[in-house]
Amino acid sequence: MNINKRENVAAYSFLAPTLILLGLFLIIPAVLAIYYAFTDYYLLTPDRRQFVGLDNFIEIFKDPIFKQSLKNILIFVTCVIPIQVGSALGLALLINKQRKGNIFFKVAFFSPVVLSLVVISVLWLYLLNPSEGLVNNVLVNIGLNPQPFLSSPNQAIYTIVFVSAWQGAGYQMLIFLAGLQNIPNTVYEAADIDGVNKWQRFIHITMPLLKPTSILIMITTLIAAFKLIIQPMVMTQGGPMNSTITPVYYIYQTGFSDRMIGYASAMTVIFGILIGIVTLIQSKVTKEDDI
Amino acid sequence: MSRQGKKIVEYIFLILLACLFIFPLLWMIVSSMKPESHIYLDMNSIKAFLPSMDPSQWFITYKELFSRFDILQYVFNSVTYAVVITGGSIVVNAMAGYAFAKFEFSGKKFLFALLLVLLIVPLETIIITQFTVAHTLGILNTRLAVVLPMIANMFFIYLFRNFFKAVPDEVIESVKLDGANYWTIFWRIMLPMSKPAIATVGTLSFIASWNDYLWPLMVLTDTSMFPLQVAITNINTTQPVYTNQVMAILTISTIPLIIVYIVAQKYILQGLGGSGTGIK
Repeated sequence: MNINKRENVAAYSFLAPTLILLGLFLIIPAVLAIYYAFTDYYLLTPDRRQFVGLDNFIEIFKDPIFKQSLKNILIFVTCVIPIQVGSALGLALLINKQRKGNIFFKVAFFSPVVLSLVVISVLWLYLLNPSEGLVNNVLVNIGLNPQPFLSSPNQAIYTIVFVSAWQGAGYQMLIFLAGLQNIPNTVYEAADIDGVNKWQRFIHITMPLLKPTSILIMITTLIAAFKLIIQPMVMTQGGPMNSTITPVYYIYQTGFSDRMIGYASAMTVIFGILIGIVTLIQSKVTKEDDI
Repeated sequence: MSRQGKKIVEYIFLILLACLFIFPLLWMIVSSMKPESHIYLDMNSIKAFLPSMDPSQWFITYKELFSRFDILQYVFNSVTYAVVITGGSIVVNAMAGYAFAKFEFSGKKFLFALLLVLLIVPLETIIITQFTVAHTLGILNTRLAVVLPMIANMFFIYLFRNFFKAVPDEVIESVKLDGANYWTIFWRIMLPMSKPAIATVGTLSFIASWNDYLWPLMVLTDTSMFPLQVAITNINTTQPVYTNQVMAILTISTIPLIIVYIVAQKYILQGLGGSGTGIK
């Protein structure tokens, strides 16, 4: 018993920094968010906060901007996943072949990953400038019409989709590449003997063997995509006409700029549950496939 | 001959693709190395991707940028935050990983399960209540506020735990017989044995802290404490805005990441392997 006690003390002293930090910046904030969601907490008058029951939640379901933000994030998620994951797989397949200069291509495709989200957002802001930007200059030179990209409510979210996919594809390409290189050559050799063509080889051998990697990539992208905030924050400030506002960005604005902590917390709870469900499904799916 | 032709088409396609990925980066660096007026003059020709013909002009923008803003201070801030967060997260998470791997203590199972569940909490959404906690603690607008929330990380704990589990108990027992206490075992045996885990955690947390934007933006009001990422958006909105200077600050903030990616590419993928992708 004595040893056990000593081991307890030792274990908890090793855990102490973690428990304090996670407690302060993860557990307490998560619990507080749930509590504040039922109050009218305004940051500047914390003492006057009152319990308001479900008022915040009722308000949220009537809030057009919150609805818009949900719509925007759904557009973003459904577009960015096929584009980003698809091009990552495509790039990996292109590179997974003995060829001169492959290292150059690999580095080139990976290069956007090295840029931070703030850097890519600011950089593309200049490249996509409606009148002076490089992209529109090229479009005009090859005889096309200049595009408003970020200043049109119909295009802005898709522009952000493109920029995000462009940045992230290289990273996933590397993961796919590792997955492809894990497929033993003997499998392909056996298929060659059976007279399988390239397309059949891809559908019946490469794809199934790559399934665990693909699922993992798709789900991590999905969860990350739901939390989109920096690109719209820096590139469009949620505009034009709220066409690029996302839930996390709206929570940030309501809580931090408008200081309505109670209302922001209620949105946090709703949106947090949504992401939580997605994450849970993820852990189920990945476990079943025994990745 | 047709085989040859196919190969050429393939290469042209690959080169075009590579251009699509690389041109923004190239334009960023090149534009920081020429006078402001030239950027827009060159936009219609291939010169958009060439720096100024006169090498003496290459670093003028940087000089101007350094004289207008306290860039060295921002670089210093970013480096400080990244080093403290990286060092802190290696030590703190390794300690927790050690406890989970090698101790039997009451509440172990519960605690570990709790921490795994906490992985689900999307940090980006609780940022508002994190802010109110920092407010209550009275650490707003201090460097401590930037650093503290980024140190403890469940994923890193998990990584360390798995690594330490592989260390045979006999090694620890024998050192214990020599009179070493837990703390000595941790510093002298466990940590030195876990260099790959340290490298992975170190790389990932350096990149994460270097790129962190939202949280420092929220907790800092004093510009002299801004990390580069926050300084970028500040410089991009401080009139007059010069395109070449903005490109220069973007380039400066990217250089450390280029170095990290070159030096530690192995560990960046390994970090993913740790999350169970089946990648060795």
